[in-house]
This record gives sequence, C-alpha cells and structure tokens, in this order.
Amino acid sequence: MQSKLVSGTLWCMGNAEGRRSQLLRGVLDLCLLAVMEDGPAYGYEMTKRLRARGLSIVGEGSIYPLLGRLERDGMVETRRAASNGGPPRKYYSLSPEGERALETGVSEWEAARDAVDGALGLVKAEVRP
Amino acid sequence: MNQFVDECRREWRRLGVADPVANEMAADLTADLEEAESEGGSPEDVLGNSAFDPRRFAAAWAAARGVTSPPPPDRPSPWRPSMAIVLAALLGVLTIGAAFLLLVGRSSSSIAFATRRIISGPGPLRLFAPGPGRIVVPGRLGLPFVGTRIAGVGVHPLAWMLLVVGVVGLGLLAVLYWSPWSGPRRDRRHEGRRTPSWN
Repeated sequence: MQSKLVSGTLWCMGNAEGRRSQLLRGVLDLCLLAVMEDGPAYGYEMTKRLRARGLSIVGEGSIYPLLGRLERDGMVETRRAASNGGPPRKYYSLSPEGERALETGVSEWEAARDAVDGALGLVKAEVRP
Repeated sequence: MNQFVDECRREWRRLGVADPVANEMAADLTADLEEAESEGGSPEDVLGNSAFDPRRFAAAWAAARGVTSPPPPDRPSPWRPSMAIVLAALLGVLTIGAAFLLLVGRSSSSIAFATRRIISGPGPLRLFAPGPGRIVVPGRLGLPFVGTRIAGVGVHPLAWMLLVVGVVGLGLLAVLYWSPWSGPRRDRRHEGRRTPSWN
C-alpha cells in the first residue's frame, strides 16, 4: 500500500514535469515574442525577462534554437550591437510578422486556456443575485 | 564553459556550419555564459538542461537556424546501372554458353556412340562417323567440332573454366549490388536521423 503510494507520488512528480515541459513547449515562442515587446534583447537578456515574469527555463531546453527558428521564419529581426561594455551581441526584436503572430497566438492561447479551464471545472459560474 | 562552447564548435564543424555563422553563435553563447557567470549564475540558467548535452544543443540550434549544410548528394555509385546490366548480361551469356558447351559435349559423345550404330552408311548425312577419328561435322564458324574438342582444345576444361568464371562473376555482382557498402543505399539508410527543433 505504502509502496503504491510512493510510486504513485513519484509518477505524479515525473508526469507533472513532463506535462509542464509539454505545455511550455507549445507556447514558449509566444513568450519570447511577448518579452520582445519590451524592446530588443539578446538571448540571455530574454531569459532574464522571462524569469522576471515568473517563467524559469531551468530544467527546460534553451531558448537559442527557438530564437533561431523565429529568425528563420521571419518572426524576429536581428542586429548586432555592443552591449553595456561587453562584446557585441545579437539583438532580437519583433518583426511585423512576429507582431501579427503574437496577436494571433495570444488569442489562441486564451481560447485554449479557457476551454481547458472549463474542462477542469476552474471556471466559476456567475451567480446572479 | 569554454569546454561547452568548444564542444558546440566541433558539432557545428561536423554538421558543415559555415565558419562565420559558427563564430557568431559561439560568440553569442560565450557572452551570455560569461554574463550569467558574472552574475553568480550557472550555465543552466542560460541553457536549461541543454547545458548537459552540448552536441545535441549545438545540433538543435544549427538546425533551427537552417545553417547546417545540406546532405551531400548521393555519390556516383561505382555500379552504374548500365555498366552493371551489361556486365551481368555478358556473364550470363558466358555462363549459359559454358553450360551449353558442357551439355552438348556430353550429349554429342552419347549421340556419337548411338549414331555409330545407326548411321554408318556412306553419304553426306553422316553426322558422326563411326570409327576412332569421329571428325565429321565442320563447325558453324569453320571450327571443326570434334566430339569433345574445339579446334584442338579440350571443351570440358574450357567450358568448366568459363562456367566457373561466369557463376563467380554473377555471384560477385549480386553481392556487390545488394551489399550495404555499395554506394547510396548506405546513405539513404541513415537519412531518418533528425535533430530536434527545440532543445
């Protein structure tokens, strides 16, 4: 009984990590586009912006491949510029296509989130007096 | 940290990433890692769990950017189809011819023995003359067919040699054609390997 409980707990922990990773995988590009709205940023700067918004990528993959894909897809524009006293860095900023993709993606995320909330019973029914 | 970047460089070189692109990615990565370190952070803060697998990380990044060199075209196979077909046809003809010679040589002896009793009269139809010489029929190409000898050369050893050469040649051809090291087949077998789009 106890071993079942332990194994069940471990399974839930592992599964929760996997689920978080899967969920993040689907929206991390949107998150990157969103933090670029604050202004151009280089790779690690975006990681810090994400962390400041409560999203840590520790335990997840790095953002570099994703930035590469966004660049290849024309969602971001890049330029090299000197950072604060440091070496020249590659700064990423939203392209017009990226702005549109962000707008569409946010709508899709909200729709999906509301639907999942509804399915999970997290939507509170409005009670009229 | 440097070791991580060095590993990435090696992977990019292996993947055929152009040097300027690889240098740019390495510089960005180094700068970010150094910044994280100066702030008391770890490579994981920059790379997540990719910090433990530089080769996979480097491959994923290069693939996502689309900077890996395209797969090399199938190298021209030493077994050009037309050459292989011609060679197979020649060896086939050689084998069949040798087998035919052996069969005819054996059966002609039998016929000669049989006809020795049947056609023993005079006239041009005496295909196989009785007697010890047995030289009767001139060959089609002017070579006298003499029982089991052609132009004074023993048919059986020659036919056996040609048969062996033909069979061995066909066997080698088949082995080389279907072997895994016979050109583009090997490359196609490994095409399924893909790098993840996000690591």
